[in-house]
Amino acid sequence: MSARIRNRLLMAIVWLLLLFLFLPVLVVIPVSITDKSYLSLPVDGVSLEHYASLADPARGWIPSFRNSIIAAIATSIIATAVAAAFAVGAWIRAGWWPSSVRLLMLSPLIVPPIIYAVGVVRVLSKMSMLDTFWGVLVVHVVLSLPMAFLAIAASLSNLDNRMVTAARSLGARPLTIFGRVILPNIAPGLAAGAFLAFISSWDEITVTLFITARRFVTLPRRIYTSITDSIDPALAAIAAVLLIATMTVLIAQSLLVGRNKERPAR
Amino acid sequence: MSSRFERFALYLTVPAGLLVILLYALPILQVLALSLTEGSGALANYERLFTSRAVAKVVQTTLVVSVSTTFITMVIAYVIAFGMIHMSSGQRKLALLMVSIPFWVSVLVRAFAWITILRSQGLLNSGLMSLGAITEPIQLVYNRIGVTVGMVHYMVPFAVLLLYANLTDIDRRVVQAARSLGARPVTVFFRVWLPMSLPGIAVASLFILVFSLGFLITPALLGGGRTLMIAEYISVQISNTGRWDLATSLSTALLVVVGILLAIALRSPAMRAAFGGGAK
Repeated sequence: MSARIRNRLLMAIVWLLLLFLFLPVLVVIPVSITDKSYLSLPVDGVSLEHYASLADPARGWIPSFRNSIIAAIATSIIATAVAAAFAVGAWIRAGWWPSSVRLLMLSPLIVPPIIYAVGVVRVLSKMSMLDTFWGVLVVHVVLSLPMAFLAIAASLSNLDNRMVTAARSLGARPLTIFGRVILPNIAPGLAAGAFLAFISSWDEITVTLFITARRFVTLPRRIYTSITDSIDPALAAIAAVLLIATMTVLIAQSLLVGRNKERPAR
Repeated sequence: MSSRFERFALYLTVPAGLLVILLYALPILQVLALSLTEGSGALANYERLFTSRAVAKVVQTTLVVSVSTTFITMVIAYVIAFGMIHMSSGQRKLALLMVSIPFWVSVLVRAFAWITILRSQGLLNSGLMSLGAITEPIQLVYNRIGVTVGMVHYMVPFAVLLLYANLTDIDRRVVQAARSLGARPVTVFFRVWLPMSLPGIAVASLFILVFSLGFLITPALLGGGRTLMIAEYISVQISNTGRWDLATSLSTALLVVVGILLAIALRSPAMRAAFGGGAK
């Protein structure tokens, strides 16, 4: 077997495996436009009725969508503010306290969320915050902090310490240094942190499953209930909407990043 | 004495500190505490984990599914990542997109897509039946097959992104040196690429194994209540039967296992280097 055939074969396997990743999620698109009332490919005809049923107030998709947006925006604002304050504080002043807080803050990335869910259900039920906006908000903030913090800390690590030293030696007050020197220089990190916090809250399901029931239902919670209760093509419609939104953002980002990267190379 | 500026820095860390202590650390400590006091006491709670047949079955399912998921995921992800570093930049961009889209799409969308494909009236079974390859639908979901397929599909993008970052860091001059000294491609792969990517493989496998052991959503949706893994079993204890003693002692056991896995991992120098490199 020549080297070229072997390389071609290897690459063919690589692309097949990539298709295994990519194609299965795409099936929700054809299924969402079927004209049948059950899950099927649109072989006989195409219909948008399942998209229309998403707008039906009785089905509860609209309120859950609204709840998710509100929770994700509020989470993003609070998590970014708290993570930015902490990241800057820990950047200026090392010690046991910032490193212990950092460790705790990052643990949700690796500690199975089910364990946190078991504990937080008890805590929230004691405070009568189960199934409320505020309960979802505090939990989502805690779970969004790691991503927000990592994005902001990465941006801070590129910040030149001497700028802060210069501002201090010129007599700037701490708040001025924070607001006029540090924050403007980590703006891209703040934006990335806010975006990641938004996505973390928007996608959160494992813990949300335990702390919500009927009064405050988020979109992932609504989808989960629908998958376990009755699978119908309306689910495919909402799944297709989410998939197309994700694909649009990623393809746009891939095109933009590609353009920025290629320019200096030439 | 700390300066005014350093005191200010300390104040900045307080909100985050309070938040993670009160709303993250305390709830988890609460789980540990409840596992000692709920039901008929600590000893009985933890003894049951080793004597109950239901728990033994759940633990066995969790281990089998998690270990096979980790293994299959690593093989697929390594082939993809290895292929990606040998692609042209245009192909690589397309490949990265094909990995990132499933990575960012909601876990619920992915589980739902697999149900659509695998269930008995699903796309795969009806496709095979209309081709005449099978006469009766094969049971592909609501069992271990479905759970493993869904979990592998969930984990591969993670593993590809971790392995790809690791493989691009490997010094290509070593590969060129091996080639110029007359090593055959197979030898180059097994004596250069594979050993040099072992730290990356170890880190990625550890993450996948830990994620799999505590995974709730995909096993619950694709297992359909028939293939029970630990996380779903814990959730059933809370939501349906109100068995907090069992839920909290199992959660504690899961936390201890995850802690031990991480501790072992951090003892090996390769792993420490990889984590140190990744954390900066």
